Amino acid sequence: MALQSHRTGWVYTTAMSWRVLGHRFSFILFMALSAGLLVIGHAQPDVIEQVRVKTVDLVSPVLDVMAQPLDAMEDLAARLQSYHAVLAENEKLRADNASLVRWQNKALSLAAENTELKSLLNYKNEPAAAYISARVIADTGGAYARSLIVTAGTVDGVRAGMAAMAGDGLIGRVIEVGDWSSRILMITDINSRIPVVVTPVGDQAILGGDNKPNPKLLYLPQDSNVREGMRVMTSGHGGVFPPHVPVGVVATSRQGQFEVVPFASLGRISQVKLIDFSLAGGVANKLARTLPAR
Amino acid sequence: MFAPLGQKTSQVARNFLPFLTTLFLVLLGVMVWPVPSLGDIAPTFGLAAIYYWAVYRPDLLRPSSVFVLGLLNDAVNDMPLGLSGLLFLGVYQLAVTYRRFFAGQHFLMLWLGFAVLSFCAALLSFAGLSLYKGVLLQPLAVTAQYVLTATLFPLLAWLLNRTQRFFLTQG
Repeated sequence: MALQSHRTGWVYTTAMSWRVLGHRFSFILFMALSAGLLVIGHAQPDVIEQVRVKTVDLVSPVLDVMAQPLDAMEDLAARLQSYHAVLAENEKLRADNASLVRWQNKALSLAAENTELKSLLNYKNEPAAAYISARVIADTGGAYARSLIVTAGTVDGVRAGMAAMAGDGLIGRVIEVGDWSSRILMITDINSRIPVVVTPVGDQAILGGDNKPNPKLLYLPQDSNVREGMRVMTSGHGGVFPPHVPVGVVATSRQGQFEVVPFASLGRISQVKLIDFSLAGGVANKLARTLPAR
Repeated sequence: MFAPLGQKTSQVARNFLPFLTTLFLVLLGVMVWPVPSLGDIAPTFGLAAIYYWAVYRPDLLRPSSVFVLGLLNDAVNDMPLGLSGLLFLGVYQLAVTYRRFFAGQHFLMLWLGFAVLSFCAALLSFAGLSLYKGVLLQPLAVTAQYVLTATLFPLLAWLLNRTQRFFLTQG
C-alpha cells in the first residue's frame, strides 16, 4: 500500500513537472511568435494587413449580431424622444422649411447661371458620385486610434480610399476592405491627414488628427485670414478626395491653435455613407494605402 | 465505458468556456455604445477576463488561446499585430504564477492584483504604441481607459464567477 502510494506520488510528480515544462515552453513559444509578428508587421505591412482584413471579415458577422440589440435600444430611445418633442420639432421644421424654400429658389437660379457659364467655357463636369450605405458595427482603437468597422465590403463595391460621411460632413476614409466589412480611418485619428480649404478666404491647409475630438488645421499660410466660424471643405489636392466635401467649422483650441469642429457628430455614429467619386486611375486607392496612415 | 455524445459535447463546450467568454468580452469592448465617445476610452474587458481565468482556471485557458485572443484584439482594434499577444501573455503568466496569492486572499487582493497588472499593461502599450507610431499618444485617454477598466473589474469578476459556477461546477 505504501509502495503503491509512493509510485502514485512519483508518477504524479513527474507528470506535473512535464506539464509545467510544457506550459512554460508554450508560453515562451507564443511570446516569441507575438514578437515575431510585430517585427514582420513593421517590415512587411501588406502581409499583416491581409491577416487583419481577413480576421475582421471573419468576426464581422458576430459583431453584426451583437450590435442588433444595441441598435434596437437606440432606435426605441430615439422614437420615444421624438414623440416627446413632436410639437416643438414641428414648429422648428416649419421655420426650417420656409427658410429652405428661399434657399432652394436661390440655388436653382444659381445652378441655371452656373450651367450657362460652364457651357460658355466648355467646362467638363465632375463625374457624379455614387453612395453606399453601411452600418457601423464596431468603434475600434480605444484610446490609441480612431477607426470604425462597417458592414460593407468589396461585394458591395467598396474600395480603399472612398470618402466616408455621416450626416452633413466628412468623417474619414476607407483604409482596409474585406469581402464583407471595411475599416474607416476617422479624421480625428493621429494618422489622418487631409488637404482642406477654408472658405470664403480660400486658404489651404492640412487637416490633421491627434486622437482628440477636433482635428487641427496644420500648415496654414503665414498671412492667413482664417477666423472662427469659417467653413472647412476638402480641397481636392493630392487626389485623395474630390473638392468641396464639407468637413466642419473653424474654432480655436485652448492652446490658441485653429481646429475644426466637424459637421458630423463623431462621438456616436451608427450609419455611414461611403462615397465613390470615381477618381479614375486608382489615385485615391493607391494613396489610401501609402499616405500617412500606414 | 464510453461517455455519451451529449456528455462529450457538453465537456468540450465547458473546456472552451474561458476562451469563448474572453472572446465575447474582447468583441464587447469594440461595440458602438449609445453613450457618445465611450469608444475612445472603452474598457479592456478582454484583459480582465484573461486575468480572471488565469487565476481561477488556467487549465482551461492555455497560452495558445491567449495568443489567439491577442491577435484578434489587435486585428479588430487596428493595433500592430502581436502587441496584445505580448501583453495578454505577460499578464496571463504573472497571474498564473501568483494565482494562489490572488485567489486565496480576500477579493480585494484579486482586484488589487488586476489593478497593478493592468496598469503595467496600459503603460507598456502606451509606450510601445507611441514608439511604433513615432508620436506621443494622448495620455489622458489611456488613463481614463485604465481607470474605467480597473473600476469595472469587480462587476466583471462577479459575472465571470457566476458563469464559472453555473457551467463549470455542474455535471
